[in-house]
Amino acid sequence: MGNIVLKAENISKHYRLGVIGSGSLKEDLQSLWKKAFTTIQNNPSNEPLNRDKKNDLWALKDVNFEIMQGDVVGFVGKNGAGKSTILKLLSRITLPTTGSIRGRGRIASLLEVGTGFHGELTGRENIFLNGQILGMNKWEIKSQFDEIVDFSGIEKFLDTPVKRYSSGMYVRLAFAIAAHLDPDILIVDEVLAVGDAEFQKKCLGKMKQVSTENGKTVLFVSHNSQALKNLCTKAIYLKNGRVVEIGHPNNVIANYSRREQTVSLSRTYNEVESAPGNDHIRVRSVSITPGFIDDESVIDIRTPLVIDFEFWYKPSQEIDLAAHILLYTSMDECIFEVNSLANVFDGGAIKGKCTIPGDFLNYGSYYITLIFVKNTTDTLFELEECLSFDVEDYRENTAWYGDWPGAVRPKLKVDLQQENTPKR
Amino acid sequence: MDYKVKEDTISNWDWEITSRRSWFKLGLKDLYDYRGLIFRFVRRDLMASYQQTIIGPLWIFLQPLLTTLIYLVVFGNIAKIPTDGIPKILFYLSGSIIWSFFFDSLSGTMYTFISNSHIFSKVYFPRLVMPISSILTQASRLLIQSLLFIVIFLYYQFEYDIFVPSLSIFIVPFLIILTAAFALGSGLLISVFTAKYRDVDTLSQYLLRLFMFATPIVFPSSIVPAQYKFLFWLNPLTPIIETFRSVLFNQQQIPFDYLLLAVIEVSIILILGLILFKKYEVKVMDII
Repeated sequence: MGNIVLKAENISKHYRLGVIGSGSLKEDLQSLWKKAFTTIQNNPSNEPLNRDKKNDLWALKDVNFEIMQGDVVGFVGKNGAGKSTILKLLSRITLPTTGSIRGRGRIASLLEVGTGFHGELTGRENIFLNGQILGMNKWEIKSQFDEIVDFSGIEKFLDTPVKRYSSGMYVRLAFAIAAHLDPDILIVDEVLAVGDAEFQKKCLGKMKQVSTENGKTVLFVSHNSQALKNLCTKAIYLKNGRVVEIGHPNNVIANYSRREQTVSLSRTYNEVESAPGNDHIRVRSVSITPGFIDDESVIDIRTPLVIDFEFWYKPSQEIDLAAHILLYTSMDECIFEVNSLANVFDGGAIKGKCTIPGDFLNYGSYYITLIFVKNTTDTLFELEECLSFDVEDYRENTAWYGDWPGAVRPKLKVDLQQENTPKR
Repeated sequence: MDYKVKEDTISNWDWEITSRRSWFKLGLKDLYDYRGLIFRFVRRDLMASYQQTIIGPLWIFLQPLLTTLIYLVVFGNIAKIPTDGIPKILFYLSGSIIWSFFFDSLSGTMYTFISNSHIFSKVYFPRLVMPISSILTQASRLLIQSLLFIVIFLYYQFEYDIFVPSLSIFIVPFLIILTAAFALGSGLLISVFTAKYRDVDTLSQYLLRLFMFATPIVFPSSIVPAQYKFLFWLNPLTPIIETFRSVLFNQQQIPFDYLLLAVIEVSIILILGLILFKKYEVKVMDII
């Protein structure tokens, strides 16, 4: 323990964007020419030659990290932050443009389950095929064959071509093989995202077991922050190809959620003329104030949210005015619509307030639309998607980190009571 | 910085990944460690190719037989191209078996990156595993087809007794290895380009078809006009096939000078192919 098993120094990865084809042969010849000269001049830098700058993309830039034996390291970051590129570099699928990665021990990567499965072949054949592709040898597979079949639970279909398998069976078989890999360093990409609930559970359990019982090092990428928090001993937060933070998963993930949440929690318009609205209504401000539970200041499912809004009102005649608040998920599903009592108001500034209690929303991304309604039937003004926020997951006392279904997630009490004891 | 790098040298580590790819490191030991995977892929290809067919592996025999039949009708009976006194069936069968071995081996290897991009983008193993296993797959098919060839050959032998067996028959395995090396070398060379420029794909398919007519498959080399003779014999497959026919059908002297030339050509192509392939095997994954 305590040994460094993997060390990345200054790794950068450069990609050239744009269409390959038109003119690229010419460009390639030019760069080949230039390259020949730069090597002659003994230019140590391995940077790509100056081409069109707009086509350059640095998927990773000067990334450094060290990983100890037995670490479970989670990479977090948005899409395109460079997480998958790191895993690809570690798996030797692509090469870094600069820098080096050094390590000790056998490395196996699981960027996908069932790589190389051949549909025409039987489950039995595919166990050997996939196992050998992943780096096991025939004897290792033979000695673990029964366990793999047991774990997958597809014994009856062992001699059926895998193209006849249901997708669930396919994934189970694939994972069973992967779970019996015995590398010193295991690299896993988004495996948690596939398969049914039971399978995800199995997968997470296996990862935990591999690291805690066998002292293996696991590196993985997942969007499931709950799983990351519970499994990792270390998290690396990447943004735009650079390392933002390395440290304890709880801190890193909290920072990540805070910084990356696609939030617009308040809008204020001081000038009446430029404020959104019409002749009768001008919205002055809308805001959400989260009542944070702890000092991590991340909106999670426990956090109550107070919606405040204020508008200028100029009625042309005497009407009943009501404000409606609609909450949508980012998939445009309406979770609820609530409204104030319709009432006659004088002109001037009017304030409104609504509280979404904690332990009510499920995790996800939401937006809010504000509608002002005249005489309970006609829309006076609609402020679409005026606020948006993310709700993070939070779980206690559970080993289940899969998707929690449901549009809402109220904390309702479920009681179990012993009625009578069975007679023996 | 430099100091620090020198301090923890590679000897402290089991492996290192950097941007540098050596031009000359072929990683043959690495390849040897993965020999199990090579045979697994051969097995996969042989098992999978005749799934869901009625006659299954019999196709391995039927394919050269059908080709021979077509050649027999088109080139033998309609175009009436001579076969230098060799029984037509044996002439076309020998040509078609060797040609299809070459053609299938080459087409199997020249798309190494395109057809395996899915696996290559998910898992590491020495990329040479793929072309080598596809050559071995074709070699096993050839081995099975040679049984068919032997049966027909023996029939002619007993029936007409025109062939004189000699020790030179032992050159045949060497001819096969040379053909395989030629297919592997050129396949590796082309594979790097097919990955990068898709035009190469279409172009090489076309050229490969033309190449059959620059090779004595459906005609004997004796009918090639004198002014093209040297060019014709520059093709490594020409001495290979001619030697094969000379040895088995006892027609002429073995063209040792051209055979030597073929060995030199094939060695150069194979070495170039290996070097280029190793140099670019990982890099092409960024553009495919």
